[in-house]
This record gives sequence, C-alpha cells and structure tokens, in this order.
Amino acid sequence: MNRRFLISLLLLWSLGPLLWQVYTSFCSDQALIQPFISHDHRWTLTHYQNVLNANPPFWRYLVNSFIVGVSSTLLCLVLALPAAYALNRIPRRLSILSRLALVGAALFPYVLLFLALLELAREFNLGNQLLALSLPYAALSQPLAILLLNNAFNDLPPELEDAAKLEGLSLFQRFRWILIPLISPATASTAILVFLFSWNEYPIALTWISDSNKLTLPVAMARIAGSSIYSVPYGAYAAATVLGSIPLVLLVLIFQKPIVSGLTSGAVKG
Amino acid sequence: MIVFLLLPALLLLLIVFVGPLFRYAWLSFHANSVMTGLIAIPNGGANWLRLMQDQRYWQDLGQTLRFAGVSVGLELILALSIALLLDQRWRGRDVVRTLTLIPWALPTTVMALGWRWIFNTPYGPVDHFTKLAGIGSLNILGDPNFAWMATVWADVWKTTPFAALILLAGLQTIPADLYEAVRLEGGNSLICLRRITLPLLRPYILLALLFRIAQAFGVFDLIQVLTGGGPASSTESIALYAYWNALRFLDFGYSSTIIMASFMLISLICVFAWMFLQILIPTHSKSRGAIES
Repeated sequence: MNRRFLISLLLLWSLGPLLWQVYTSFCSDQALIQPFISHDHRWTLTHYQNVLNANPPFWRYLVNSFIVGVSSTLLCLVLALPAAYALNRIPRRLSILSRLALVGAALFPYVLLFLALLELAREFNLGNQLLALSLPYAALSQPLAILLLNNAFNDLPPELEDAAKLEGLSLFQRFRWILIPLISPATASTAILVFLFSWNEYPIALTWISDSNKLTLPVAMARIAGSSIYSVPYGAYAAATVLGSIPLVLLVLIFQKPIVSGLTSGAVKG
Repeated sequence: MIVFLLLPALLLLLIVFVGPLFRYAWLSFHANSVMTGLIAIPNGGANWLRLMQDQRYWQDLGQTLRFAGVSVGLELILALSIALLLDQRWRGRDVVRTLTLIPWALPTTVMALGWRWIFNTPYGPVDHFTKLAGIGSLNILGDPNFAWMATVWADVWKTTPFAALILLAGLQTIPADLYEAVRLEGGNSLICLRRITLPLLRPYILLALLFRIAQAFGVFDLIQVLTGGGPASSTESIALYAYWNALRFLDFGYSSTIIMASFMLISLICVFAWMFLQILIPTHSKSRGAIES
C-alpha cells in the first residue's frame, strides 16, 4: 500500500503539470477565469484553432526543429564515429587525457558560449539558416557522442578486427561492414540523445535565428511568452505547450530503451 | 591515418569550446560596444574593475548560487528516493520509469510557459490551492521572496529524472548479497543505505552532482521564459545578465568579462564540490571493513 502511494505520488509529480496544460488547453477563456462556470461554456477547441491558424502556423516550428534535429544528428555522428574509433588507437596516456577533456567539455554549461558563437555566425553569415544551426549543435554534442561511441568500440573484442585485417579488409571496409553494424545500438542511443539536445536547444537558436518563419520550437515558445506576465492568453499557451510536447512524449515512449541505455552507459563507464 | 579520423571532430571541438574561451579572455580586456562602434579597443582592466563594483553582478551571482545550491540539493535527495523506488521489483515499473522521463525530455521553454500558467495569480492552480488552504493569494511570480522558489521548483521538476536515472544505473550495479550480509548481521534498511548504498553509489552521485551543478549555474532558458529575471531582477541569473549585456546593451566587452568570470567560478566550484564529496561520502573499502568487524 505504502509503495502504491509513493508510485502514485511520483506519477502525479511527473505528469501533473503537463496534464494541467492539457486540461487548460480545452477550457474556454471564461472557464479559466471562473472555475465554476456552467458546462455549456466550459470546453472549447478554439485555442488549438488559434495556434494552428496563426502566422506562421504552429506546425512550421515543429518542422523547423525536426530539420535542425535530423541534420545535427547526422553531422554529429559522421564526425563522432571515426573520432571515437581513433581514440582507442592513439597512445594510451593521450587517450585517457582526451577522454578527461571530453568529460569536462560535456559538463560545461554551454550557454556561456553563446556570445562567441554569435560572433562566428556574424563573421560567416550563418544567421537565419536552419541547416547552419547544425554546426554548433553537432559540435556541442560531440563530447557526449564520442564518449558513448568510444565505450561501445571498447566493448568489442579486439580479435574481431584483427581477423578482418588478416582477411585483407581496408580500414573503411572494416568500419562499414564490421564495426558500425556491431555498435548500432550505441549509435542509436547517441543519435536520439543528440536529436533531443538539438530539438530542445534554446540560447544559440535564439541568437542565430530571428526570421519568424525559421524559428525552432523552443524559441517560438519563448517568443509567444514574450509579452507581460499579466495580460496573457493562457489558453493558447497551453495549447502550444501541448502541441510542442506531443512529439517528444512520443519520442520518449517509443525510444525509451535506447535513451535509458545511452544515459546510463555514459554514467556507468564514463 | 588515425590522425585524419580524429582531425575533423578535434577541429570542431577547438572552434566551439576552446576558441570562445580565448576570445572571451581577449575581449574582457577591450572596450567593444555600441559606444566604440563595435570595434575592440584595449581598455586595460576597466571591464574587470567595473565587474568588481557592479552590484547587479554580485546580486545575480548570489541568486545564481542560491538557485543552483537549493535546486541541486533538492534534486539529489528526490532523485535518490525515486531511484530507490524504481530499483525495487514491482509490476509496471518499466512503464513508470519511462513516464518519469518525460519532464526531462521536454524543451525547457515549453514547460517554462506551462509553469507560468500554473503559478499565475489569480487564475493558476497554485493560487487556488493557497487560497483554499487559507494562506491567501501569494502572488508567487510577482513577489521577489517567492519567484525564485518557483524557478527552483520548475528546475527540480525538469532535471530530477536525469539524476534519478544515473543513480538508478548505479543502484543496479550493487550486488544483492551485500544487502543480505548486512541483514544477516541484524542491520536495518537505514544501515544498508549508509553502509552499502551510499558508498557504492558514490561515483554516480559525484557525476550527477558535478553535471547538475555546472548546468544549474548556467541556468538561462527557464528563467528567461518563466520570470524574465524579474520581479526587479530578483531571479536574474549570471547567464541572463551576460545575455542582456550582449544583446540588449550591445556591450560585448563587458558581457565577455561576465562570462569569463563565471567560467572561472564554475570551474572552482566543481573542484570544491568534488573534494567536498570525497570527504562527505565514505568510500566502500571502509564500509566493508565496518561490516566485517
């Protein structure tokens, strides 16, 4: 009984705030102000209609975030896979040292980098381009990606590659046909974590993108919130919150295994 | 050959992580703002002197430390409780574990907007609750005494799942027979926790703690959307102040100085937190001795 109570409490704590948004998003404006309104005026879909018919429509932000997420993930993996492999084949001391540096970089509160990155964006005209955002995103998720993938390469038996070498396979062939398929679970975890990071990233997207048609979801949400605390259309906000949450809730429900294994293998071995 | 595999990643890392630090260090000794037409002019240590005397900076630093300390502390206690609950065997555990991850996965700004509604006065649920409980309307986001607690609350809600997951991974590496050994000697759950769980969990606690302290110190998204740093900059964090200086006051030199100072501080804090925890949490070898003796 005691445990059941604790579990309910945990679920209420985790999901309550989100469910409250779902509830709010279907409430009419009057119902939000007067909690004891009669049933006829209580429920409405207008908040969703408003958000979806706004200019630009809400789904535009989801598409933008999706484009940025996918391109960042691909770029990150293309760079991290060879680096993670090579990290085991440099002198041991150097390898340990670089792993330490990577842990340090992964811990670093990257928000402090926004100003220098903004200068880079200005210098190379990278502002207001969705695909350009994948450069800083791939770079910022590089430490975590390399560490996770390096762990996976470490777990492979070394005889495997030696045998492939004796068969005369080149480095690229070994990579393509033997190593990559074997570490695909770790690659999947890494990819999802990088995607999550890119989807959720705010400070850099905020400073790089100003065109309202190219905003990513987090920046769009903040812009919606930009007005004063007191004169706020909360029904529409709640609808936006719900719509913005749905893709990620689905992502977590579908990919919970690789997410958990990615986060924990980083902790267990890193 | 190996070098060519490493080079692209290394280059990108240098540009994004190392380059900025040198750039900040350099800019912090230059005037670079609208006043100078955004051209960097050396100004000796003027930025650093200004930082020393900048009351708003010191106030923000105190607020950031308060935010980081309180939220990371609460978070670790809560995460440990959740991890202990999820480490036991019961039906539906995996589903619950997945559901608890949802707050962590949502974009910070999305739920920050949600929290603004929840803490809204007079229409939000928290305000209804305090009125029902007889405390009356607290005007949480409009009162400097409460607004920072709201930011802590929202941060703990979002980041606890991550810490809980790390601690859970640690718990699952502890062999069950260690607990049985303590029970055989008549130890209760509390002794198990102190002699076995905490010592063996030490590296995981350290990792979760260091990561969370560093991230909490750089808090930005949550505060910008939830309170905008207000009321009366009572929730403003260092990162937000650096952001205002760069993007609103267009003073890149001073903003760099703030960032540089924060970077050095956060490194120091992490080193101290690490040393402190080394002392605070007993190592396993000692605890094993205690059980055997």
